[in-house]
Amino acid sequence: MATLISRRTALGSTLAVTALSAPSIAQTRDRVARVWGEPGPYVGVFTNGLNEWAQRNAPGLRFEAEQIPWDQVYTKLATDLAARRPPALISVESPIAYQLAAEGLLEPMDEVNRNIRAAERLVAGFTVDDFGTWKGTQYAVPLHHQGCLLVVQSDAVQEAGLSDPATWTWQDLLNGARAIQQKRPGTAGYTMALGRNLCGDYHVQQFIWAAGGLTWDPARNFETVFNSPATIEAYEFIKELYATMPRSAVEFSFLQVVDQHVAGRTGMSAYWGRTMGRAADEAQPIFRNMEYYLNPRHPGTGQSWSWTDINGWIMPRRNNAFIRESKEAIAHVMNSPEWMARYTNSLFPNVGPVFKDTASDAAVQRHPMYEAKRRSVELIFSGYVPKACNSGHELKRGINPLGGIGHGRNVWSQVAQRILVNNEAPRAAVEWGHRQFEDIRRENRRLIE
Amino acid sequence: MNRWLAALLYALLCAVTFVVCFPLLWAISTSLKPKEEIFRWPPTLLPERFTFESYRELLFGGSAASAPGAGTPPSDFFLHWFANSIIVSVGSTVISITVATLAAYSLTRFRFFGQRAVPYVAIMGYMIPSVIFVFPMFLTLVELDLTDTLLGLTLGYVCITLPFCLWLMWAFFRGVPLEIEEAALVDGASRLQVFRQIVLPVALPGIIAASIFAFIVSWNDYLFGRVFMNSMELLPLTVGVMHFFDGTHVDWGLMMASSVLMTVPMAILFGFMQRHLVAGFGAGAVKG
Amino acid sequence: MRLRLTDRQVGVLFMLPFLVALLLFLVWPIAEAVRLSFVRYNPLRPEVQPFVGLDNYRFVLEDPLFWESFHQALIWTGWSTFFQAVIGVGLALLLHQPLRGINAFRGLLLFPYIVPTVVIALNWRWLFNSEIGIVNHLLLQAGIIAEPVAWLSTPDMAMASAILLNVWKYTPFVVIVVLARLQTIPTELYDAAKVDGAGALRRFRDITLPQLAEVLAVVVVFRTIWTFNKFEEIFLLTRGGPGTSTYNLALYAYDQSIANLRMGVGAAAGVLMLLVLLVASFLYIRLTGFGREDRAA
Repeated sequence: MATLISRRTALGSTLAVTALSAPSIAQTRDRVARVWGEPGPYVGVFTNGLNEWAQRNAPGLRFEAEQIPWDQVYTKLATDLAARRPPALISVESPIAYQLAAEGLLEPMDEVNRNIRAAERLVAGFTVDDFGTWKGTQYAVPLHHQGCLLVVQSDAVQEAGLSDPATWTWQDLLNGARAIQQKRPGTAGYTMALGRNLCGDYHVQQFIWAAGGLTWDPARNFETVFNSPATIEAYEFIKELYATMPRSAVEFSFLQVVDQHVAGRTGMSAYWGRTMGRAADEAQPIFRNMEYYLNPRHPGTGQSWSWTDINGWIMPRRNNAFIRESKEAIAHVMNSPEWMARYTNSLFPNVGPVFKDTASDAAVQRHPMYEAKRRSVELIFSGYVPKACNSGHELKRGINPLGGIGHGRNVWSQVAQRILVNNEAPRAAVEWGHRQFEDIRRENRRLIE
Repeated sequence: MNRWLAALLYALLCAVTFVVCFPLLWAISTSLKPKEEIFRWPPTLLPERFTFESYRELLFGGSAASAPGAGTPPSDFFLHWFANSIIVSVGSTVISITVATLAAYSLTRFRFFGQRAVPYVAIMGYMIPSVIFVFPMFLTLVELDLTDTLLGLTLGYVCITLPFCLWLMWAFFRGVPLEIEEAALVDGASRLQVFRQIVLPVALPGIIAASIFAFIVSWNDYLFGRVFMNSMELLPLTVGVMHFFDGTHVDWGLMMASSVLMTVPMAILFGFMQRHLVAGFGAGAVKG
Repeated sequence: MRLRLTDRQVGVLFMLPFLVALLLFLVWPIAEAVRLSFVRYNPLRPEVQPFVGLDNYRFVLEDPLFWESFHQALIWTGWSTFFQAVIGVGLALLLHQPLRGINAFRGLLLFPYIVPTVVIALNWRWLFNSEIGIVNHLLLQAGIIAEPVAWLSTPDMAMASAILLNVWKYTPFVVIVVLARLQTIPTELYDAAKVDGAGALRRFRDITLPQLAEVLAVVVVFRTIWTFNKFEEIFLLTRGGPGTSTYNLALYAYDQSIANLRMGVGAAAGVLMLLVLLVASFLYIRLTGFGREDRAA
């Protein structure tokens, strides 16, 4: 028995030693600069470009891509900043960039933007400032853009005898969704995300802006103006529209909206380029009939807006050992038309090219999806850009760092959920949301003063 | 027993077992379907065409979905994650059990101040929601420079498994009679000899039950792994597989295949130790 | 080993690692949590931590969502524990029958306890998917429902699905404990009752139940506390949705800490949970009779 136990002890201690030594093994490697990006292959492609620079100019340095699911950005940021080991580079949608810039956590990027002549090369409708300028300093390097649009199955529209979706107002959308639902029992007319998540926030905000509402007004000292009649009208409209959606839309996020569309269970949906990409991969019949349009106009204001991921590279300033190298490596990749085309093509047509030269690059225009869906792809890549804004840059009225904080709390979608799930009156729900936004403004006053 | 009653009981048992096992059977079935069959409506109960594609992707890499040169697809990390989970679960189990066994023995065989309160403090420790101390603990690890290391995660798991292990071992040792030990001590054996040669063999069922428990808790954890770890190649399985949700696409085949693979080690462990589990827990562990 | 240690030194030495671990990994983090609950702490700016007195507690106690979460945590805990206890005892009795092959059934029925939460939460999302889930399909085919049920999209159904998950996963714990206790009930008691002509039901009521009462009470307290604290099940299944209808306190604390960047508020919510827990623990200790264990040994 004694020998048996000692063997067991020996086994145990061996395992314990393995457990203890594993981390040290992991740490005796090259210098690794971590690069955060959204899930999807594109960060990986860009990182390959960064590594091309590193191999030539900084031996022993390696860039490593890490995919951060959208809803985990804050967990990762908070823990990594607390642990004093931030990533070297982050590809991030601009509201978070605005917030971090205002917090003073970011490294200025004016120099990189000069080196890549960003201002001259940007597609019409964007300025470098849109990506993350705060108080005159540029903190972000334009990387890509994705706008949320109306995705339509043209066969469904034809069957229901509807007019050209390019001309639609809200009323046409609602009628169209109803007509499709009637023609195709068992499928939804329209699908958007209404879950308590980022996607829900984005989809809801587009309607608010079209109606002329906004959350904070940068022109008036960032006053909270959420509880306007326009906002209430938008939520009332969403409630009407919900009748044409799947019941489970109130738990939908990014994934479910795309699933719904690609599986042919909805005639129309609100989404970014990815729906087209997935349909091309998985459902050719859906892909063949798919078209993208600007979001329907509000009948009164005539406005149409797209929630846009105005995505740029930002760099944490403190405890970042890779600032100089990363800046040079970014410039290397972005000055290379080949890498930029490769980046755009890595998940077609999800990553809209930010530079005119990339958008007109032959390698991009030869992409099979570009050739098959020229009109839609050009809308996704450049046509919609004048309508591009987001939570931190509402109606393009000015950059607002509070938008990023709003993201973490999903107030916009929660208001919708209060109305749809709890049957609260739109006015009351909007007032609730107004109080949340007012709290955010009060708590984070220091950012906007 | 009456034959009809026995038949009835068997029928009942089979029905319950089917309902209980159904989620896992469905996971297995899904994991063996080719991608296009997974989303078919109405769904097929058994795969029409069996494929081990999802398993191959997890175990041997080379995801078909990834574009060339587009970075490493998450599925290529699966074996890393698997190894990490084994390392941290075994590591924390070994530490917890060693520390708990020693302490429990000491508590039941020696007298000192506060002795009776210790197990109760420990069990309360186990009842404290991990959400309370996950962040403070993370900040402690920051000071020790142990974040994003397997050692840090191992220590985190020790903190959630140790209290209950102590409790189980304490309950177990209380049930072990003192006479043999005392006789051995009188015969001139040292305390350490007694502990190694007499106490440990007797305590084996308790140690096994507590080990299973500690292993399960560490293997199943999600929160600590999510907060403490960062690098793709250092994640535990539970946190890693969530990367198969990439926001706009989820590969249910991969998901279910990894579910099955994650459950297998537990099933093997459980198959061997099931007897001890009931015995170990039964030794008054939750009786006070 | 020739080192001479007195018996007492061995005793202290054996305790030492545990006490160090306890101090480092339990007492210290909790003290730290209590400290955090009195400061304002934005995790993006960990270097600024002004003392704010009771502000965080005031914030939590005035937040309707906290009370909503509290209420929902009670519902989720109450039903989960109730079903676990009832089904657990039933299954334990069934598995206690002297049938051939019962060990195989025991293994299969205790199995859910060891299935990782991530696995089961994902499985649940897959099974209960309202569009292409197998559960809806089977129910539709059997004619039990006329149209797909939106399992995770309506507040009541989402809560029910979450409870079902919890019951599925943790009933085996009750079974294990009850089964262990059943095995210690002397069979003579039953034989005597049979001789007296007591039917199966009477025997259950008069012998089994009283024998189980103590262990059941303890198990219920354990399960209540553990379920009340659960984070992962709900986080992975519904994230508290739809709306905030399946939010519980653990989720509230987590979301405040991370998503809302209010670490102090999250900590305050955690400390309040701790207080609730202390009350429950007190109940537990009273039930088991703290200080009586010397007689039991």
